Amino acid sequence: MSNERPPGRDPAAILRTALGEAGIEVVASLPDSWLSPLLTALDADPRIRHVKVTREDDALGIAAGTALAGGLGAVVCQNAGLLVGANALAGYVHLHELPLLVVAAQRGDVDDGFYYQAYKGRVVPPVLDAIGVPYHRMRGGADPRLVTAAADQARLHRRPVVLLLDRESLLGEDAR
Amino acid sequence: MRRSTLARIVAGVLAEDDIVICSLGSAGRAWREASAPNLTYFASDPMGMAPSLALGFALSRPGDRVVLIEGDGDLAMNLGVLAAIAGAAPPNLRMVVFANGRYETGGGQSLAGRLDLGAAARACGWERVESPPADADEAAVATAIRRMYDAEGPAMVVQPVESEASPYPKAGRWSQADDKAVFQRRLAARDESGGRT
Repeated sequence: MSNERPPGRDPAAILRTALGEAGIEVVASLPDSWLSPLLTALDADPRIRHVKVTREDDALGIAAGTALAGGLGAVVCQNAGLLVGANALAGYVHLHELPLLVVAAQRGDVDDGFYYQAYKGRVVPPVLDAIGVPYHRMRGGADPRLVTAAADQARLHRRPVVLLLDRESLLGEDAR
Repeated sequence: MRRSTLARIVAGVLAEDDIVICSLGSAGRAWREASAPNLTYFASDPMGMAPSLALGFALSRPGDRVVLIEGDGDLAMNLGVLAAIAGAAPPNLRMVVFANGRYETGGGQSLAGRLDLGAAARACGWERVESPPADADEAAVATAIRRMYDAEGPAMVVQPVESEASPYPKAGRWSQADDKAVFQRRLAARDESGGRT
């Protein structure tokens, strides 16, 4: 049996296309197993400059530099990376006022069966609230409209905006 | 070498239409005091974020030469960015590290370890790193800066500078967002006028 999905049901392809349509040309990332298909899709897209970093705050800095240049950059990471990058996020929200989009795997929620991930699911949303970063949940499948809406919000508000994606939104129906 | 001398040497090598990004602290202030004509973004806090900001900026403006004026304390806070820059390999990005071995503005505390930032950069994959000795004269440093400038990026000079008093600056009138807006408007005006500041 083939593992290939029709394009309309391939969440990685949907999200990659949505990022491109949102005008994002630079993506900085760190991996997570749920993000693996999306990262592979980004690597294969010649329209997107995909930069690998060693810490999520550097990914945020790269996206902020893209914004400083007049574009919009994205960060792809696990939600724990938002805890690592909290100082950078706060600086870009409140000090520089630079827009960027974060696409984060929301590990540790009801769809995640690993005890060691659970604290992230509990901690990350209130931390984002405390920092003042708008975030939106993507649940039950990849939603390209939410990607473009969040990118528009980031530009309009001159602030980072975070998307927290559940397992099915990143891995598709197979994740059920 | 005094940091003001290094800033003056860098200003003498750069073309006027090169874009400069500065880390916070004494290196950035030395660049400001050099009064170079270059469009410059003084990146302020968070500390450790200037190199990634410069990387994202350079990747998004491949037609511009971007020079990062960096303090060794700022770079020491986030050495992993050396790997990210080496991996992305932007040909238009160059870095000058003012290395005094201290957190000058924070009170002069020494950095951790015995950092050799040039060696760290090479270990992360940087191929064009100049590291003149602390007693190099102005001509030798200018030659190293020129070699870095003429080489394809990413390229770097790590130059030891003297420890000097660096009193905490007075609070400025404008916010970082105000400064960002001015920088972006000057960048847009430069684009509209054909590429020069």
